[in-house]
Amino acid sequence: MFVKKYLIPRLLQYFLVIFLGITIVFFIPRMAPTNPVQRTISELKSRGTYLDPAYVEQMIEDLTELYGLSGSWFEQYKDFWQRLFTGDFGISFFQFPTPVIELIKTALPWTVGLLLCTTVLSWVIGNVIGGMAGYAHNKRWSKNLDVIIMVIRPIPYYIFALGLLILFGYVVRIFPIAGGATIGKTPSFTLHYILDVLKHAFLPALSMVVLGVASWFQTTKLIVQNVNAEDFVQYAQLGGIKERKIMFKYVIRNAMLPQITNLALSLGQILSGALITEIVFSYPGVGNLLFSAITTGDYNLIMGITALSIMAITTMVLIVDLIYPLFDPRIKYK
Amino acid sequence: MTTNKTVLRTQNLKSYYILDVYGTKKVVKAVDGVDLEIQENEIYGIAGESGCGKTTLLKALYALIKPPLRLMDGRVVYTRGDQDIDIYSLRKDEIRKLRWEYIAYIPQGAMSIFNPVIKLKETYRDFLDSHISGKTEKEMLAIAREHIDKLGLPTKILDAYPHQLSGGMRQRVAIALAALLKPNVIFADEPTTALDVVVQRGVVQLLKSIQNLQRNTIILVTHDMGIHANITDRLAIMYAGKIIEEAATREIFKNPLHPYTQYLINSLPKFGDTGKRASTPGNPPSLANLPEGCPFHPRCPQLSEICKERIPKLTSTDNGHKVACWLMNGGEDDKNATSS
Repeated sequence: MFVKKYLIPRLLQYFLVIFLGITIVFFIPRMAPTNPVQRTISELKSRGTYLDPAYVEQMIEDLTELYGLSGSWFEQYKDFWQRLFTGDFGISFFQFPTPVIELIKTALPWTVGLLLCTTVLSWVIGNVIGGMAGYAHNKRWSKNLDVIIMVIRPIPYYIFALGLLILFGYVVRIFPIAGGATIGKTPSFTLHYILDVLKHAFLPALSMVVLGVASWFQTTKLIVQNVNAEDFVQYAQLGGIKERKIMFKYVIRNAMLPQITNLALSLGQILSGALITEIVFSYPGVGNLLFSAITTGDYNLIMGITALSIMAITTMVLIVDLIYPLFDPRIKYK
Repeated sequence: MTTNKTVLRTQNLKSYYILDVYGTKKVVKAVDGVDLEIQENEIYGIAGESGCGKTTLLKALYALIKPPLRLMDGRVVYTRGDQDIDIYSLRKDEIRKLRWEYIAYIPQGAMSIFNPVIKLKETYRDFLDSHISGKTEKEMLAIAREHIDKLGLPTKILDAYPHQLSGGMRQRVAIALAALLKPNVIFADEPTTALDVVVQRGVVQLLKSIQNLQRNTIILVTHDMGIHANITDRLAIMYAGKIIEEAATREIFKNPLHPYTQYLINSLPKFGDTGKRASTPGNPPSLANLPEGCPFHPRCPQLSEICKERIPKLTSTDNGHKVACWLMNGGEDDKNATSS
């Protein structure tokens, strides 16, 4: 019943969304007025290299083949899907001739490690203190906290990150200013290496957690204040139920429902990286990779990262849809 | 039925909403000098039009006063054993303990009073857990199940989520929940509103059977005179924040003294009577802007000069019948009343 009525249509929808998303990603760069082959050639020319016209002809042909741009759009499109199923996104231009998938594989653990921790951590902290502050919104500490958060929240992220970097990397040299680990160290599962990684990740993580907590805090507080006015909370209060129980089981539990969806969407966005964080802290993650790909016109790499990101977000949405009835019994599979 | 032992007394209870509307202070006199004396083991009804202060009176009795509502004057005294307890002199945690163990509340509109994400047995368990200690989860569940069963409700509702029950069932579950810890006083605020007549009957019977089983005092607020005739032992008529008449229910229906009560009783349809029923002329007064003198005087058919100037006091006539009207012998000034 559940499988036939809900799961199968939902899975079909899931694949359809991925298919459409990736199709759009495929066609949009091809409709753009820039031609990567011409671009490469003109780049070579602009560096002053003399190119024999016959040689240029040959080069255009080779590059077109290499970039997967030969044949009609339909042939390219078919070819693209065939390669996609084997995990082959083609070859990167800016780090020629490393396959795109290799580049992503190297960058992904850094990004996922950093962002998974910061996203979950800011969600938990922001929701717990936001929930308590919303429940006790008349109390003095809650009002003070609200003012502090209101000051932190609007700080532009790059300024905040840069400020942290200057303060703790340059003025007080506690933390390294760049990279994911000390250059030259071989990755290994030793305590020494892990501590080194944590030390490098601390500032980027701090910058994201502080602003992330501020943002979760404000939304949760608002939701909690609304739930506070609900009949069932008033009823629990006039029924003499213990305050702690009302706060967690009646108020925060209900306020959490929309935030679970928001958490899942944030987790889905991890794979596209945290662009500004990784640039400011020169962190070797997917965001930095994407930035380089965009500035160098590396279409294969852009498509590889975008495709993965589409899959991650749709998968997270699917998972939320499937587990949501566990949190809210009013939601039914339909 | 009454044993003449007072369980709840109020003296000159006044509770106003103080509103600040764009800089102008507005005072809504929702409860304006109410003296009640409610006996043990009786069903006491409070009737009146919408907006006459019935729900606010219950809130004041239950110490549910939150801004903009304020307690202006008066005391609410419960008798627990030999002890008199003024509810407004208790500490916060003492009020918390008093609620549900000694006084319980059935709020208006039970549609959304249960936590939507937990099963009803969890709600029952939370109520038990917050008031009795030293019971395991299993024992508490057993208590809840036995309680529900005794009141003739299906025990399987405990395994349901609130949204899975009908409105009438939800109302009955709320009533059963109020009786869970055998409180001495149960307040029921419009328990039959928004239900059809068949379900209303079930609700009334449930209240009656709780009263039969537990012998507690039920204070029932509703504008439905039919429900009052059916279930209450004594009845108070409320008008513009004041009690204007109080007597045994039969007495009020047989011999209403206040012109307003007469209108209320006469507007009820009777078998075999096809004539048009007269309604009270005019509209209820705004509690923020009460007329001078008796608040009913602009609508009263038996108006005299004194009614326009002075507020009558609730005075006993014979056999416990009290009325606040200048028409009655011995009507006197209400010294507590604030002239507006």
